[in-house]
Amino acid sequence: MSENTVTLAHGAGGKQTSELIDKVFKAHFQNPEFTADDAAVLPRPQGRIAMTTDGFIVSPWKFNGGNIGKLSICGTVNDLSCMGAKPLYMTCAFVIEEGFPLESLEEIAAAMEKTAAEVGVRIVAGDTKVAGKGQVDKVFITTTGVGEIQEGADTSGKYARPGDAVIVTGDVGRHGCTILIARDEYGIGSDVDTDCAPLWGAVESMLGVTKDIHVIRDATRGGVGTVLYEIAEQSGVGVALDSTAIPVDDRVRGVCGMLGLEPLYLACEGRLVVVAPQDKAEAIVAELRRGKYTSNAAVIGRITEENKGRVILETEIGTQTILPQPKGELLPRIC
Amino acid sequence: MCVGLSAKVVSIKEDTAVIDAGGAQREISAGVLDDLEPGDYVMVHAGVAIAKITESDEDEAADVMGDIL
Amino acid sequence: MNEQMKRAREIITGYKGRPLRIMEVCGTHTHEIFRLGIRKLVPEGIDIISGPGCPVCVTAVGFIDEACWLALEKGCTVCTFGDLIKVPGTEQSLAGARSKGAKIRPVYSPLDAVELAKENPEEQVVFLAVGFETTTPSACLAVKKAAELGLENFSLLTANKTMPNAYNALVGSADAFIYPGHVNAITGNSACIKLCEEKGVSGVVAGFTASELMTALAVCIKLLGEGRPFFRNCYPRVVKDEGNPAAIKLMDEVMEPCDSEWRGLGVIPMSGMKLRDRYAGFDSRIKYSMPEITGRPNPACRCGDVLQGKCKPSDCKVFGKVCTPLHPIGACMVSDEGACSAYYQYSGLV
Repeated sequence: MSENTVTLAHGAGGKQTSELIDKVFKAHFQNPEFTADDAAVLPRPQGRIAMTTDGFIVSPWKFNGGNIGKLSICGTVNDLSCMGAKPLYMTCAFVIEEGFPLESLEEIAAAMEKTAAEVGVRIVAGDTKVAGKGQVDKVFITTTGVGEIQEGADTSGKYARPGDAVIVTGDVGRHGCTILIARDEYGIGSDVDTDCAPLWGAVESMLGVTKDIHVIRDATRGGVGTVLYEIAEQSGVGVALDSTAIPVDDRVRGVCGMLGLEPLYLACEGRLVVVAPQDKAEAIVAELRRGKYTSNAAVIGRITEENKGRVILETEIGTQTILPQPKGELLPRIC
Repeated sequence: MCVGLSAKVVSIKEDTAVIDAGGAQREISAGVLDDLEPGDYVMVHAGVAIAKITESDEDEAADVMGDIL
Repeated sequence: MNEQMKRAREIITGYKGRPLRIMEVCGTHTHEIFRLGIRKLVPEGIDIISGPGCPVCVTAVGFIDEACWLALEKGCTVCTFGDLIKVPGTEQSLAGARSKGAKIRPVYSPLDAVELAKENPEEQVVFLAVGFETTTPSACLAVKKAAELGLENFSLLTANKTMPNAYNALVGSADAFIYPGHVNAITGNSACIKLCEEKGVSGVVAGFTASELMTALAVCIKLLGEGRPFFRNCYPRVVKDEGNPAAIKLMDEVMEPCDSEWRGLGVIPMSGMKLRDRYAGFDSRIKYSMPEITGRPNPACRCGDVLQGKCKPSDCKVFGKVCTPLHPIGACMVSDEGACSAYYQYSGLV
């Protein structure tokens, strides 16, 4: 049994720890910079550096269209990408629950390898800890990334200006919906799959169209709605959305309909909210639509001078209303 | 009160129906509706089909308004 | 926007008659009316007010206290519809009890709670049965299922309510009611027709899509202009005059009317439902010999007045200051359907 699962001995720092690292992690993360020493030594990039870190504790660790490994690469890659930074190096720290199958760990590492390779980011250092049964839920991963900000790119949640267009790079809420289904707490079956994807390619192609992009934000926890409120707040502007223009997958609509949830508040893991000058919006969307993960990108609204700090929805009956503020825990609404 | 979901009946076995809304499927109770058949549309609330439904809301609007105005 | 919608819109925005008060009784209507920005569409003279049809909002404080008692003192697994979780009790909400280790599970259907009880015979499962006629059949089906399976670890904490006596209590508070489509899908229209014929109370039954709500509102405004009491079913694709006879029969078999406390409205005689004697074994209050628990609402909260249309949420002293969706004092701020929550979230639009 213990031969096929992670044991406390794997985390004790001795021979078994090196075996685990060799067998699982080195096998998948091998690259010239992957360190055997205490820290990776790296060449200095030319441009300014962006750096970020993120923890991943998703449960279940595996879901339709991805797993925690893929997620842990995408999350950090996308955070860097939002700053216009090409992801260069990453580190990853694992906390693994005693008894976790080695085969599953292998599956996670393979997904990380594949996703990292796609982006061209190198995993240069890692750490493995094993926690006693029940101390963590299966496996937690923390990734840290460093990227090089591309020349001319200058994005921030503070830079949205009245008149700008608001773009979303794909249909909203699919990751959150997928996790909800994977948890199987509400007995709903659906083949909805996660939108989890690495988006450096999308950002690079947008920057190829214009460097004049004001905001790029990764719509993760809290979904697109939460990100829009953050932008409105940070930039001191209003956001007006055309509710009929927001792309929502039918499967997401179905699940949300059953549980009374709002897709704009469901998490995404492969969707960006982009704010750019109105006259560039069309070209940006056209370019995005050619991309692998952004084929249903759309302009969903505009930045306004009025209604500062709020997100307004233009409804299907031609009225305006306010998108309710996110309220933390998502609970299904039946009555 | 009472968020309802209109959904299509996919299959039915005794008092239990499987319904589909945009590809999301779930088992629900058909305990208070007789003679449901696959292909029927129902209004679902809290895991129970409460009414068999027919036309789209657009046809309905035309009928209801035509009646009055 | 299609032609029907345009016509409905014209009727609504073009109204120039005497001032009107229209009350939407159903919480989901409240929510949709805000979501669609309909209040901004109606002209000055028309006031759309929210009635007591959000089951979360009318649930008495003491009911939450009872649920917390079952969870914390008796160690029961409490299954509930999601939006009850944050409703404040006297001391705490269910979320508060959960942070003290109570097992609180949001479920989609009471039948899921039965399933949970079946799969976990070592757990004592309680379902919080709230809601009106739309929701009560699901609780009745759950009890019958549990009885069939011979489960001894499943029970209901009931606070089910019925609408007709609430309508009577509300007569005079509006010129017309927008009746809750999904309640009428079960009960049929006879109570509403009777109100119209005997007491001259006007109203329309409405559905929930933009088209259904706009149509119902347009019909309501148009007929109010004509001055005679009326009743119209504007949701015929779902609501039949006779309702759902099988559901009515089921409710009558499993439950019987009782007096019931409505937050803000007080006790309305025979406006609630409780399990009949033959199902008493599934009544949490009996099963766990529950002591009398009386809730004490926050004295500053005016949810009661709001629910009766006596004041607007913004007239309440704690509204928007101490009482917000993240830190609700009253139930109307908790549910997305609640009038206070809706006012808070959607007001102040330029």
